[in-house]
Amino acid sequence: MVQIIISSGGAGGLAQWVLLELQGEVEPRQSGRLAGSLLGDLHYTREGVPVLIVGHHILYGRVVQLEKPFAVLVKRGGGEAEPAELHAHYTVTALIKTKLLFKTRPKPIITNVPKKV
Amino acid sequence: MGHLVIRGEKDEQAVLCSKDKTYDMKIADTSNMLLFIPGCKTPEQLNADQASCNIIHSQIAGFSNNYWELRRCRPKLKKLRKLLMEDPYEGPDSQNDQTLTISKYTTEDLLSLIQASEEEIMHQLQVIDACKIGGYWRILEFDYEMKLLNHVTQLIDSESWSLSKVPLRTCLEELGSLEPTEMIEHILLSYGRKYIDDGEVYFEMHEDKICRAIAQMLLQNAVKFNLSEFQEVWQQSVPEGMTTRLDQLKGLALLDRTSRPETISLLKVEDLPEDNQERFNSLFSIREKWTEEDITPYIQDLCAEKQTVGVLLTKYARSSMQNGVKVYNSRRPIS
Repeated sequence: MVQIIISSGGAGGLAQWVLLELQGEVEPRQSGRLAGSLLGDLHYTREGVPVLIVGHHILYGRVVQLEKPFAVLVKRGGGEAEPAELHAHYTVTALIKTKLLFKTRPKPIITNVPKKV
Repeated sequence: MGHLVIRGEKDEQAVLCSKDKTYDMKIADTSNMLLFIPGCKTPEQLNADQASCNIIHSQIAGFSNNYWELRRCRPKLKKLRKLLMEDPYEGPDSQNDQTLTISKYTTEDLLSLIQASEEEIMHQLQVIDACKIGGYWRILEFDYEMKLLNHVTQLIDSESWSLSKVPLRTCLEELGSLEPTEMIEHILLSYGRKYIDDGEVYFEMHEDKICRAIAQMLLQNAVKFNLSEFQEVWQQSVPEGMTTRLDQLKGLALLDRTSRPETISLLKVEDLPEDNQERFNSLFSIREKWTEEDITPYIQDLCAEKQTVGVLLTKYARSSMQNGVKVYNSRRPIS
């Protein structure tokens, strides 16, 4: 039987990350890859409402405290080339207790609207 | 902090085990995109940290549209009994015991073979009256177990002890020449409650468990018994002072009150499948319609935390009325 151990990474407390949940998919603008590319700008209004600007779209979301927090696991070892003994194991890298949920339709930001007289 | 372990053979569904709980692992898909951002601040954190009202460059560590979900489940312990039954302990005189260690399991072995947490495994070992012999966990072969029990009950009878005050010391002295002292103590622990009185160890014998074991011994010998004949023989076979009752046989034997004469046969819940649907299929192929009273002992162990037998019956069975009594049958045709 396989036994894969999940251990807590590091002696100190776990890092707290935040989840950003978007409806649909995010695609890289031109040819490129997502890695290294800019997603957008995140702002908060005075009332604490998260606002995301992606390209020329603006999205309004809300902060949600997760009922069931997530743990982020990083896999170590267990590559295909290695012998069967060396089972993969995971370390918990971070916990996520909060998510920024963006469910509303992105609105295009139109900066110049010529008005007909 | 302890760690968590994912356990499973290649053909099993993976489970995650903590020190004392077991969880089914499922992959949950979402049509949304989940991006995880280290160091991303929430409004509260920014409000608290007035100094940093500048641009913070954060990197998205990664993204996914699925995640692992854990759901608490019953530990998969049927395999434990199956493994220990590969080589039941038949006593020190038995030939087989000397050499083979292939079908013998240490605690470490069990932890690497059973999809359950360590505490759940240790608890189950106690429930099935397993004992450690030479570092290996063993179950007693039934006949040997009855032989040991018989030594004890005969001694209780000849010494005229109260069933609730059986002295350990005397048992070991009187029976030590017949059987290993560890086995005598083990059978007392299996069938009695240990306590100390005035510095001496005594056992309060479990009347129900003893009667039940003797019933099993009688029922194993044939497919079916005439119920009233069985009840007579059974009462005569139990130690003096003990009273047999049919409710001691829940999950061990099945009564058929519709046949003439009424009959009783062996049906052990531990011999039935572990999976819910398979368990119900098996029960309905044994008997087409069940009353709730009759089926409960055979599905009680399927209940998850805070789940009732009623919920299981609603999900896996269909009810109808028969002669003014509510009965349950299969939702689907059983071949």
